Amino acid sequence: MSNSNGIVLKMENITKTFPGVRALDNVSIDLHKGEVLGILGENGAGKSTLIKILAGNYIKDSGHIYIDGKELDIKGPAEAMVSGIRVIYQELNTIDNLTVTENIFVGEQIVKGPLKIVDWKAMTEQARALLDTLSVKLDPDAIVGDLSVSQKQVVEIAKAISKEAKIMVMDEPTAALSEEEIKSLFNIIKTLKKRGVSIIYISHRLKEVFEIVDRVIVLRDGKKVGVQKIQETDHGKLVALMVGRDIKDMYPKKEVEIGDMVMDVKNLSADGIDSISFELKKGEILGIFGLLGSGRTSLVKALFGANKIKSGQIFINGKRAVIKDPSTARDKRVGLVPLDRKAEGLALIMGVKENITLANIKDLGKSFLINRKKEKQRAEKWVDEVGIRTPSVDQEVNSLSGGNQQKVVLAKWLESGSQIIILNEPTRGIDVGAKIEIYRLIEDLCEKGSSIIMISSELPEILSIADRIITMNKGRFTGQYLRKEASEEKLLQKACL
Amino acid sequence: MAENANAGISKKRHFKINNTAILFIILAGMFIIASYVGRPFFFSKLNLIPMINNLSFIGVVAAVLTMVMVTGEIDFSIGGNIGLTACLTALLLERGLPGWLVVVIVLATGAAMGAFNGMVVTVIGVNSMIATIGTMFIWRGIGYTLTNGESILAMNPVIDYIGRGFVFKVIPFPIVLLVVVFTITYIVMHHSKWGRKIYAIGSNPLASFLSGINVKKVKFIGFLICGMTASLGGLILTSLTAVGMPQHGQGLELLIISSIILGGTVLGGGKGTILGTLAGVFILSVLYNFLTIMNIYYFYMQIVQGTILILIVSTYEMKQTMIRRRT
Repeated sequence: MSNSNGIVLKMENITKTFPGVRALDNVSIDLHKGEVLGILGENGAGKSTLIKILAGNYIKDSGHIYIDGKELDIKGPAEAMVSGIRVIYQELNTIDNLTVTENIFVGEQIVKGPLKIVDWKAMTEQARALLDTLSVKLDPDAIVGDLSVSQKQVVEIAKAISKEAKIMVMDEPTAALSEEEIKSLFNIIKTLKKRGVSIIYISHRLKEVFEIVDRVIVLRDGKKVGVQKIQETDHGKLVALMVGRDIKDMYPKKEVEIGDMVMDVKNLSADGIDSISFELKKGEILGIFGLLGSGRTSLVKALFGANKIKSGQIFINGKRAVIKDPSTARDKRVGLVPLDRKAEGLALIMGVKENITLANIKDLGKSFLINRKKEKQRAEKWVDEVGIRTPSVDQEVNSLSGGNQQKVVLAKWLESGSQIIILNEPTRGIDVGAKIEIYRLIEDLCEKGSSIIMISSELPEILSIADRIITMNKGRFTGQYLRKEASEEKLLQKACL
Repeated sequence: MAENANAGISKKRHFKINNTAILFIILAGMFIIASYVGRPFFFSKLNLIPMINNLSFIGVVAAVLTMVMVTGEIDFSIGGNIGLTACLTALLLERGLPGWLVVVIVLATGAAMGAFNGMVVTVIGVNSMIATIGTMFIWRGIGYTLTNGESILAMNPVIDYIGRGFVFKVIPFPIVLLVVVFTITYIVMHHSKWGRKIYAIGSNPLASFLSGINVKKVKFIGFLICGMTASLGGLILTSLTAVGMPQHGQGLELLIISSIILGGTVLGGGKGTILGTLAGVFILSVLYNFLTIMNIYYFYMQIVQGTILILIVSTYEMKQTMIRRRT
């Protein structure tokens, strides 16, 4: 830090207030050339707000931003772009029906001649060159819609560096990637570093942070609570900084007595899954582990009636249950916390209370009318029990943090009286503090007699929370372990069978 | 610091509440101007009753179409429906059927037209804009075919009463229909379980489906009722004009959809209120009436109507952007 020339970006005393919250309170960061700076923090700590201010999506209330020592007043995304700031968002912005090349050069096509005809040849060549510098093998003519999530991400990175990029921000880049894909992403990051690009890396996964980051800044409640060189810190210290207290047990496991069989699935086949059989017992957490594309989401959809069942049977409490759509699943007291809570779980422009009662509208009143008082009471009860942090039950769900949104989805199924709750990657994109709260909630539910099916691709999570783990690949179950017998190696090996 | 934050909250609320209120203020302003500039004719019975009748028949359809639009769908076939209804009414009366039976048959036909739209949209999955532009032509085409393109006199005590009757000798019957339809749709949309489903679907159809709401059923019934209400509108128009002709209701779909959008309903669904629609209908109707009594050439009226629509929706958008900036 002695060499001020090495500082590419300086954000000084940034403050941003939203209705009801001070999202950022005098936060200052600096970023050196070729550095990977990690930003850690819980839900609502202010990470996204900080990035959005840098990217020009939000306007800061006060503070200064300097790029290469010159103050820059970022009023919109265009100014950020011109200054060489690139953001790779968690929700990728690729255009699926265009090719890789078209995506890389979208809006910036290379043209030739007086008529400015698009020069496809030059573009394809440049795209190939870009992909080569990232050392990835990807056909520039491939349609992006056919690519995997990680490949799409590569396309976005290539697009970002197609014009001079000084600062690259990656928001939760590994959220949807498998272990292999994470490795290749890290190689790309290392390549970018060598080329002098500075990187701001946002993640909840501490393990990765230690692997790739040079220095880490921890935010909590909109304030900067720590800056540490990665060699000088450890897992425990960072978590303590993030949460503001010591966390002894990341995965609180309660031993719950496991009861009788509540769900029995026999030879279930549907789109993407092939003769799946399993049992679920009362109070049990059944973990299903598989990589992206293993058929885990297809299984969830079939169990919940969102995908058509081709053959096989489901028994709930010993009785044959014909689940033909989500509404029958709900009536059989099965609930689903889906993979993508914003797209599949929530009516974002509606309030917390409307979302909590969404799956149980019929109980909102005795007649065809809604009893608003009762609705409010019930919603408030769940907000309290589940621990949803919101100014009121009328608050639009859109404005809540990811973890709190996830709790709203969970509360929705509790309100509808679900006994079997299927959780598809329940802690995806959620950070440590909120994760622990969700684990606690799940454990409490089991203690009260619910049963859980939890799909997860996070090994530490599934290994410590699930009572029993089934591995899945190519639409089939490939192995089954009790928690005590399972290990990361075993699960990964079976999941790749 | 906390005070600051709360100030932000109350401001945002302020904005929200006032959307419909602003419309009613505009409306009140228009009334004042119209009654002053257009005096003494504007407030005369000779002017007000036709205006109210006209407004009622547009409002009845607009209220129900709002429900469809909040689910994220749209129905362009209402104008064609009105045309076909008018022809059917006149033809059935010509055959000597009793008035009440004609009303029943016509409303049932309207419901069937709506159900057809609903089927095409929810079962086959055709985009509702395309489906209902298609049926808009079909309904009107059937009307032309049935009547050979001619106007047919439609006189019958029951039919006459629908558009030109008075309750207690003073209240025009169409306005009674308007009040009834608005009250029902208001309760359904803002206080019933069904209405909750409508908003949920408009806000996120996939999440609603995955929460056990029968999205297709709600949409289908919306179309069905919309078709039936359009036929009710067709009956009022036939009664007001005492003829059934296939040109009835031509271009009306755009006027009605404009009033709904003016009232704050969003294309794509999830947002919109019945009171907003009521205000939108009033604003456009009063505007039309005012321009007419001011002897403004019809050509200019069209320009004014379009401008008002864009102006008001622009202010919604600008407000949205301001709120977004703030947060």
